[in-house]
Amino acid sequence: MMATKNKDQGWQAVVAGVGGQGVLFVTRMLALGAQALGGRVLISEVHGMAQRGGSVISHLKIGDFAGPLVAMGQADLLLSLDPGEAVRNFGFLRSGGAAVVNAPDAGFLSPEAQKALAAHGVRLICLDAAGLAAAAGAAKGANLALLAGAAGAGVLPFPAAQLKRVVLEASPATRKQVNQRLWEAGGPGV
Amino acid sequence: MKSTPKQQILLGNEAIGRGLVEAGLHFMTAYPGTPSSEIMPAVVRFGQEMATPPYCEWSVNEKVALETALAAAYTGKRSACAMKQVGLNVALDPVMSAAYIGVIGGFIIISADDPGPHSSQTEQDSRLLAHFAKLPVFDPDSPAQAKSLIAPAFALSEQYEIPVMLRPTLRVCHARQDIALKKPLALKRPANFQRDPFRWAAIPKMRLALHHKLNHKLAAMAQQVAADPALNTWHCQPLAKKAPLGILSSGVAAALARDVLAELGLPVADGPIPFLQTAVPYPLPLAPVERLLASCARVLVLEETEPLLELLSPQRERLWGRYSGHVPSAGELTPDALHEVLERALKQAKIKAPRPRGRLLAVPDQAPPRRPNLCAGCAHRAAFFAMRRVFPTGIYPGDIGCYTLGMNQGAVDTCHDMGASLTFAAALSRVHQLEGRAQPVVATIGDSTFYHSGTPGLLNAVHNGARFVLLILDNETTSMTGMQPTPETGLTADGHPGRRVDLLGLVRGCGVSQIEQADPYDLPEFFKVLRRAKRHAAKPEGGVAVVIARHACVAKDRGLAIPRRVPVTVLAPAPAAAPVFSPQLKACADCGRCVAICPAGALKRTGKARVKVDKKKCTSCRLCAAVCPTGTMVLEPARGCTACGLCGTWFACPGLARGADGQMSVDRAWCVDCGLCLHVCQQAAIVQSSQAAPTGQPA
Repeated sequence: MMATKNKDQGWQAVVAGVGGQGVLFVTRMLALGAQALGGRVLISEVHGMAQRGGSVISHLKIGDFAGPLVAMGQADLLLSLDPGEAVRNFGFLRSGGAAVVNAPDAGFLSPEAQKALAAHGVRLICLDAAGLAAAAGAAKGANLALLAGAAGAGVLPFPAAQLKRVVLEASPATRKQVNQRLWEAGGPGV
Repeated sequence: MKSTPKQQILLGNEAIGRGLVEAGLHFMTAYPGTPSSEIMPAVVRFGQEMATPPYCEWSVNEKVALETALAAAYTGKRSACAMKQVGLNVALDPVMSAAYIGVIGGFIIISADDPGPHSSQTEQDSRLLAHFAKLPVFDPDSPAQAKSLIAPAFALSEQYEIPVMLRPTLRVCHARQDIALKKPLALKRPANFQRDPFRWAAIPKMRLALHHKLNHKLAAMAQQVAADPALNTWHCQPLAKKAPLGILSSGVAAALARDVLAELGLPVADGPIPFLQTAVPYPLPLAPVERLLASCARVLVLEETEPLLELLSPQRERLWGRYSGHVPSAGELTPDALHEVLERALKQAKIKAPRPRGRLLAVPDQAPPRRPNLCAGCAHRAAFFAMRRVFPTGIYPGDIGCYTLGMNQGAVDTCHDMGASLTFAAALSRVHQLEGRAQPVVATIGDSTFYHSGTPGLLNAVHNGARFVLLILDNETTSMTGMQPTPETGLTADGHPGRRVDLLGLVRGCGVSQIEQADPYDLPEFFKVLRRAKRHAAKPEGGVAVVIARHACVAKDRGLAIPRRVPVTVLAPAPAAAPVFSPQLKACADCGRCVAICPAGALKRTGKARVKVDKKKCTSCRLCAAVCPTGTMVLEPARGCTACGLCGTWFACPGLARGADGQMSVDRAWCVDCGLCLHVCQQAAIVQSSQAAPTGQPA
């Protein structure tokens, strides 16, 4: 199930973005998804000043870990709601990890950067989550569309359907329909 | 009363709140501050599960909070008081005496540290202040451990009749973890204040006796802590044979170091490195530390943020830590910092890591730094813009809160500690006035910060005849830390009946005679109010002029903050042009306003009622023409964006994006249609969308 080099060590992810984009929500959904499967979860969040439009990053570790922070070179997944924040945080990825970025294509990266990612065995998945969310009538929902995209791409340690159930259960009644639309916009089709 | 679930993913601060409630807490006070702010709301929420929920209050500052909770503990109640680490500085006076005099009911002081620092002025280590004050301190490594330490902390506090400190760091407070929940303890403790003036009102002579007693308590506590295996965790069995390297650690560094060692292929459970983690760094549990030293040639000490274990441990010459230069003496001990520390220590101890870290992924691309900013639609932004317009040569002492972000608009010159805007303003205006120089000074402070520690500085300034402008940015909430109510609202933490404390009345009570309230959303009116304040502070017979800038926080209630949506458009680019000095039109008053306000420094007075325009420096922002009282500086509005950048630097709204060519456009992802920027652009390039279509082209 877990796509890491050391199965026993669990699964680690970094979620990046800009304050106000919903980084914390995405991280919590991943945590609930892991918990639903009986995984032990540790998260580190950013509160306070950075939430006012600054760079926001949260760490998620599922498995037998003691501390809440991911070390450079150890993340199985980098999920970034902003292309610039992805560039800033690529160093967290282990070789063979995956990056899911809210961008129409890899054009936000120089050819040299794309080469470096490929040489590190990183699977880069670009998804215009902002555009998809806007088309679904919820411009602020890019975070959920991107999460759905990551689930659909099979880079999470649990099935997409599982996560979708968790997301919809965690959504307040007034948001359920919108979130359902956003999830479908993101693409996993489950 | 609600029922208790079994397991939940909780934020560290919620876990602490849960722990307090499960331990039968009666009385809780706090002042919000990152990373401690979520403890109080958690106590309020979980307290609903108790038959008698604890009394909870947001106090006006940390000193008040600490004294209030302390006195409750005098009566036998279990009490707690939460704050951030710099808040502990504010509360230090009562903390120092509290150790001598002690308590009856258990009392936990929670001081949340911020190594990094991420949201604080300093990286200070509250454990050192616990040591300074002679209070035992618990140093948890995770939300789960923080919660589990609360019952033992109360027990220790009551056994020795002494306050104890719980010192979580940011990575505990803002970590989330699965937490097992238990039923709250129902602890009957009727308030029972036993008169004992020799203790509660001890004169200095008795304090000496209390100090001796305190030292005995600490010695006994150290023994007891050392004998408690729950407080001293051996993450492996110490080897009988001498190991080349051992680790002594506490707090989050202990947790992260274990993860890093596992990633290096040296999991501590079966590795060759004896690893002792203590939950109580002070008073130091000597016996286990001595056992560790006896079984290792060298001991690496990992702790945040200052060397406390290292200071207290015996055989310092055999320790590797901050004193020996093995651990960096500033900054957070992140996994990467720990990786470097451990790699070096392992190498020196000749221990080979089976899985050394490979080369890290590095891309040549650079992302521009992204600074935090005031929210789009924030009224503070308008107030700062107006302040810069009206006081172009002013000095701007700022204060601590969201509005410190006025820095992005060049509107914050100093930021020191809570309330220092006022005292700094008094001094900065005074030193110029003593030399007969007119130097406008405008202090800015938020409402919550003003209630926290603004009044002593204000009444001192008034009493001593200071002259400056004080701008109180009143959004009726404590926004940076999560919208805690201020005294102005009359709302209380747990909903017990409170009373509104009027800000205006408080300012008047400090002796201020010139007070005006205005809404920065009405910018033209706000300019006028600021000008009146300026005149009052400038007059020799004037004094402190207070302007209360009142508008609801847009992050708290956007509907309330933006009652009328005003969509705006930036008109298509127009050619930039420098203003022309035209003395033939009207006589120049030689007032110097244009020279003072020019953001580019492109204007110069010639001394002959004439202003020289340096066309090379001029950005064509047109501010000079806008402020010229005689119409001598002439530049017609371009009605299109000239890429001058004024709105970017003086207004700095996330809703306005600047392209590579300098042209502005509205960023719809951030814009909230507040319409404030309409007043910013002097080239009339920002217009209401409804008016843009027929005459201009949107950019």
